[in-house]
Amino acid sequence: MIELKSAGLVFGATGLGLGETNLTFRPGEWTSILGPSGCGKSTLLSLVSGLEKPGAGTVFNPYSKKETGFVFQDSALLPWLTVEENICLPLRLHGFGVAQARERAGEWVSKLRIDHHLDRFPDELSGGLKMRAALARALVSSPRVLLLDEPFSALDEPIRIELGIELRELFNQFKPIVILVTHSITEGLWLSDRTLVMSGQPGKVVFEARVGLPDSRTLAQRGQADFLALVEKCFGILKGAP
Amino acid sequence: MRIAKTAIHPLIPFVSITALSEWMVKSGIVSSFLIPSPSSVVRAILDGGPDFWKAFLETAIGSGLGLLTSIVSGMSFAFLMTLSTRARLMFYPYAVFFQTVPIIAIAPLLVIWFGYGLPTVVAASFIVSVFPVIANSSAGLLGTDRLLLKLFKMMDASPRQVLFQLRLRAALPQILEGVRIAGGLAVIGAIVGEFISGTGLGGLVDSARNQQRVDRVFGAVLLASLLGILYFSAIAIVTRMLIRNQKGVEL
Repeated sequence: MIELKSAGLVFGATGLGLGETNLTFRPGEWTSILGPSGCGKSTLLSLVSGLEKPGAGTVFNPYSKKETGFVFQDSALLPWLTVEENICLPLRLHGFGVAQARERAGEWVSKLRIDHHLDRFPDELSGGLKMRAALARALVSSPRVLLLDEPFSALDEPIRIELGIELRELFNQFKPIVILVTHSITEGLWLSDRTLVMSGQPGKVVFEARVGLPDSRTLAQRGQADFLALVEKCFGILKGAP
Repeated sequence: MRIAKTAIHPLIPFVSITALSEWMVKSGIVSSFLIPSPSSVVRAILDGGPDFWKAFLETAIGSGLGLLTSIVSGMSFAFLMTLSTRARLMFYPYAVFFQTVPIIAIAPLLVIWFGYGLPTVVAASFIVSVFPVIANSSAGLLGTDRLLLKLFKMMDASPRQVLFQLRLRAALPQILEGVRIAGGLAVIGAIVGEFISGTGLGGLVDSARNQQRVDRVFGAVLLASLLGILYFSAIAIVTRMLIRNQKGVEL
């Protein structure tokens, strides 16, 4: 379990960043974070991952960096490595041999359906395939914590939906802690078990929604009345947020 | 096919200008005392074969050692400046000295310090060629994509892994570009050193000038250019071998 106790980090006098926040993230729970730009969503991920230290309060995270996967908005694949070499990178950095790393990566490669692109370089891939490779790289160490910083925002809607469903399926199998930062209300509510809506500068959690959908996600769920009511409620809160 | 295309295109202006200058000199439009005909330059090189060959080898060795010294010391300096901000603040202004130093003015000093011969040539070649290696290497090593640095930090990479597997690899195109520029400058520096020390193609140019042998001067200049092209091509081949599939890399 990851716990933030009055933890916050505000950058200078701008007010940008995360105000003092109390939050708990439990294994097997997917949390989405919604909020306007500058409210500290990415700062929250940096605090959880240990990339930044809180300016106030404490962050309790029992998981090491080796147990944490991170996916950015940009796929951040190394352009001089093939897809397979990129996926194996975390394992290689942690001392795995080439064959051992390949064997371990194989499982994720087939789950994310990029088996046929392993020898290609990132600039030969579509945006969707690049993101699949980035997800495989984040998952290859079988992380207990998965931090997603707007990973689907640069993708076309059909690919976003497709990848969202697949990632949710993988989550259902392994039940790590997932924290997804997104600007899409529908995506955030649909994929997660819990959605936190933030506002202000510095950011604070002003609303918590539990969507209550079955584990497997389908596109039809996005059209249900309860779901649409929640989308509308979050929209109203975000519209009123500074 | 691509190689043939790459080789044929530069040959078109070369052949045209050679033919034009041959005609202009032969028909008396331009005096052969000012500009020799290309055929007389070739004849001068063939007649003075052993002299030219010896001078070419001396310049190749002097500039080659100068370039090697620049690569090794320039990259070491860039690594130091990447690892320590304090070192960068302290020493980078002195690196600029190598770019601004007038080599013609200090070449006589080099002879006093190193004597007539190879060490002076190597020193002159090094002074002229080291700055692009330092500037490009440090700019490449320090300009690593912040997102990739964050990624490596997230993956708990050691400082050594960050330096060699990320910073150095990402900087490789820029480093090799610096080496490519340094290759041409190393030949220029060596020639200047040889003017003073009296060896190599620089010495040959100096003695031919004294004898009013413009054809021999042109012959030596042609060979110096050939040496520069050889360095350029060798570095392009190394670049092609080291860098695969990286955007923004001109091969």
